[in-house]
Amino acid sequence: MTPTKAQKTFVYVLLILFAALWLFPVVWIFLSSFKNNTELYQFPPSLLPQQITFEHFINAFEKGNFGRYFVNSAIVAVTSTLLLLLINSMAGFALAKYRFWGGTFLLLAFISTLMIPLEVIMIPIFKVLSALGLYNSLLALIIPPAATPTGVFLLRQYLLTVPDELLEASRIDGANEWTIYWKVVLPLCRPILAALAIFSFMWRWDDFLWPLIAISDPNKYTVQLALSNFIGEFNVDWGSLLAMSVITMIPVLIVFLVFQKHLVSGMVTSGMK
Amino acid sequence: MSTESIAAHPQPVNKRKRKLQLAPYLFVLPNLLIFTVFIVIPTILGAVYSFHEYDGLNPMTFIGIENYAEIFTDVKFWQTLGKTATYAIIVVPLIYICALGIAILLVQQIVLKGFFRAIFYWPTMISFIIVGLTWRWIFGELGIINGVLEAVGKDSVSFLSDPFFAKLTVIIAAVWSRLGFFMVIFVAGLLAIPKDYYEAAHLDGASKLRAFFHITLPLLKPTTLLVVMLTTIEAFKAYPLMFALTGGGPNKATTYIVQYIYETGFAKQELGLASAMSIVLFVIITIFTVLQFKLTKGGEN
Amino acid sequence: MKKNSKAMFVLLSTLILSLLLAACGSNESVNSGDSGKKKTKLDFVWFSDGVEGEVMKEIIADYEAENSHVDIELIEVAYSDLPTKLKTMISGGKPPALARISTSEIGAFSSQAVDLAEKLGGVDGFTSQFLDSIKPYYVVDNKVVASPMDVTANGIMYNKTLFDQAGVEVPQSSDDIWTWDEFNEALKTVLNKSDAQYGLVWDFTPHRWSTLLYQLGGSMMNSDGTAATINNEAGVKAVDYFKKMHDEGVIPTSVWLGGENPNNLFRTGKTAAHLSGNWMISNYKDITDFEWGVTYMPIGTNRSSVPGGKFVMAFQKSGVEEEAANFISYLSSKEVNSKFNEKSLFMSPRKDSADLNYEFGKEMFALFADELNNTVPAAAEDWSKQDIVPKFSTDLKEGLSDVIADGKTSQQMLDEIAELINEAIEDTK
Repeated sequence: MTPTKAQKTFVYVLLILFAALWLFPVVWIFLSSFKNNTELYQFPPSLLPQQITFEHFINAFEKGNFGRYFVNSAIVAVTSTLLLLLINSMAGFALAKYRFWGGTFLLLAFISTLMIPLEVIMIPIFKVLSALGLYNSLLALIIPPAATPTGVFLLRQYLLTVPDELLEASRIDGANEWTIYWKVVLPLCRPILAALAIFSFMWRWDDFLWPLIAISDPNKYTVQLALSNFIGEFNVDWGSLLAMSVITMIPVLIVFLVFQKHLVSGMVTSGMK
Repeated sequence: MSTESIAAHPQPVNKRKRKLQLAPYLFVLPNLLIFTVFIVIPTILGAVYSFHEYDGLNPMTFIGIENYAEIFTDVKFWQTLGKTATYAIIVVPLIYICALGIAILLVQQIVLKGFFRAIFYWPTMISFIIVGLTWRWIFGELGIINGVLEAVGKDSVSFLSDPFFAKLTVIIAAVWSRLGFFMVIFVAGLLAIPKDYYEAAHLDGASKLRAFFHITLPLLKPTTLLVVMLTTIEAFKAYPLMFALTGGGPNKATTYIVQYIYETGFAKQELGLASAMSIVLFVIITIFTVLQFKLTKGGEN
Repeated sequence: MKKNSKAMFVLLSTLILSLLLAACGSNESVNSGDSGKKKTKLDFVWFSDGVEGEVMKEIIADYEAENSHVDIELIEVAYSDLPTKLKTMISGGKPPALARISTSEIGAFSSQAVDLAEKLGGVDGFTSQFLDSIKPYYVVDNKVVASPMDVTANGIMYNKTLFDQAGVEVPQSSDDIWTWDEFNEALKTVLNKSDAQYGLVWDFTPHRWSTLLYQLGGSMMNSDGTAATINNEAGVKAVDYFKKMHDEGVIPTSVWLGGENPNNLFRTGKTAAHLSGNWMISNYKDITDFEWGVTYMPIGTNRSSVPGGKFVMAFQKSGVEEEAANFISYLSSKEVNSKFNEKSLFMSPRKDSADLNYEFGKEMFALFADELNNTVPAAAEDWSKQDIVPKFSTDLKEGLSDVIADGKTSQQMLDEIAELINEAIEDTK
């Protein structure tokens, strides 16, 4: 089924049009971070900086130990993502491929709690963290947020599309449940795990509330926590905020570009041939 | 529910049910444990506040269901909830259609696929405070559109002072910033559809459109349910974006329910009441979620 | 399959390893903190608008040099997160030693504060060193719950380039201050005869609006705080006048309705004036494309500004109350306080250091100080009632927007606010 030339052209025109729309504000943010304060507030605004300046980047880096914060954010984002992939895929597999008492209830309970604004339960969360000795520990940013309902739900829904016959075949071969999960299910989940890795890295990298609750020690600040300090009572240091936002996007973008390559077809066939 | 689903499944599943009871629990355990300790327990503790008068600082006083009684007579709460529902009704289908459309384009054989995917995903990485700032640059008093209007000699327009345009701007910004996330989910979902279905349809002489409605959409059901549920919850929780973009204005036009709860809990320091509001919201969303889930049989085919 | 399981093995071991690493990492730093020279650690929760965080770090370094047994750590948060951060720490049983706190939060946290009176030389001895107008903020039930660090005053910044272009001269001394009508006319002239697009931008907070209320002789509550007065004649006049300036296009609706940042509007150079406060001086310092200055606020039935400020509070149950109070005592001294305010471009709350040697805008600070000296007592009395203010300030802000958008009449809106105030007063009894 090869598309005609006209169809192809149509797809490209549509894509480029939308992509340009989507990219424009991003380009604007990027270019603005190089404008000086006078230009930043100029009206009518101009797209290109008339005078490229790195002052915002320099100022921002002077205002805190950002090297340290980047290392902290990286430790948190990487480990939490690995943990999340493991436990979410286990739970997702169980919820998709077994019928067991309480299964549906568990899933719906997981999802519904997404609706509770974390801000309202911050004090109890703090109490739990400090009772477990996790206050001021990076582990508080790694372990609790790894049990995401979204991740479990994502895995479950994906696995629903995987034909049961594939698992049955291994079962007949005498594989135990863990082996089936490990050797059959996980490889099949490659695209969705890649997607989840992309999400999780971004969630943890951009996370603000958990660090705000759990971390007071400046040596353990994450980038987002440090970024928010540019917001005062009367003044917002927009220049520094923009500059740091541009820099903090880079790791997330790299992770996306690496993992999106794995967004390829997991199963070639339905297994029913 | 379980009996009818089992009936719909092939035999082996039924057998497994009896034989392997322990395995699923063990698989769920790590996730469940973490979730219970760090979310469920604090939620229950937080729910206790809802029966108290509490400012988050000084000792609480038990007042029974007074907070709930207050909510039921709080006209503003229900109005804000209604506004939030309207917002959700517009934004959920919009994100669904746009994200699916872009995802379909991006699973085709095209050059620079990764580059295009990155462009659409990019806005999801930008924090809401910067998203707000950016869209102010476009629609705000000093924004690009007003700059263009001025350049052609027209008077500038205060888009964000007008309730209609402010709501529109918020919707555009929300679609812009969230589409990439759901696009990735759809891409993964589309890739999971076995190719031989399409080949078979092609051999039968079905058109692409027909294939979309008869193969893609039905097989995408699990993903659809997921995306609709997540976007709905997101829409009901919408607040940081509005806070940065319109501040909830003009005159509360873009103040949605979580901002209202937040203001009650923190600006007015009535954490007990805010907790009760969260519970009410939680119950409403849960009913909605359960209904959606049951109606679609959890997205199973 | 084999390749996959290998990958999984690598993945799992990396996970375990890095978790261990993270765990060790956190333990390690805890140890190094303790195993030092048995220092007393003071956590100091802080937020910054400008350079004051850096100035405070210098001051801390000086203090630590003199007091080697003390280790003060600045925990910086965004201003908007300050109350949540403090609440979680205090309610979670881990209160910080100290916090910088603004007039909007001081009331809520005063019940958790250490009474500093004894350490600082008695209530009267201490308060007599500071401006009288801010006393109601930090003296609660005859206890000194915090120590003033800087004082703020509301006032007007104007675009000199635009005023010059229109040939309008601002009042040169406190003898020829404009009335509100004169000011309104002056702004209209600037709008007509210069490149100005906006007349006056007015910070989107009820606190800044209340400047007009006090100038017109109004107040939010009576002086003993037993009844709302906001809906009296003066209050209605203040709302009416505010609306009139919006209706006439002198104040752009984009700030109070569209949430536009007035600071950004002023910076474009197309705005004639900005009603804000002295903190804007350090923000506008780097403006290069036009000239600007500070001028007297207009007079209604009387002159008035609204005093505010930032304070340092020490918390109970931190285990280091004594050391925290010592540090506050150090911060409150004339020398240290002057250094802090001079370098941060703030106004000192101390009576004996009103005349600081600022690097920038000395005459502007003098003008703000003059505004503060001509302020009615009602302003600080109202805004220091922190058990009542939070219960209506959001509604007042929305109410004012509502009046501007023709949703309600001034009287209607103020009656509703008065009811909220009276309810809140009732609740605190």
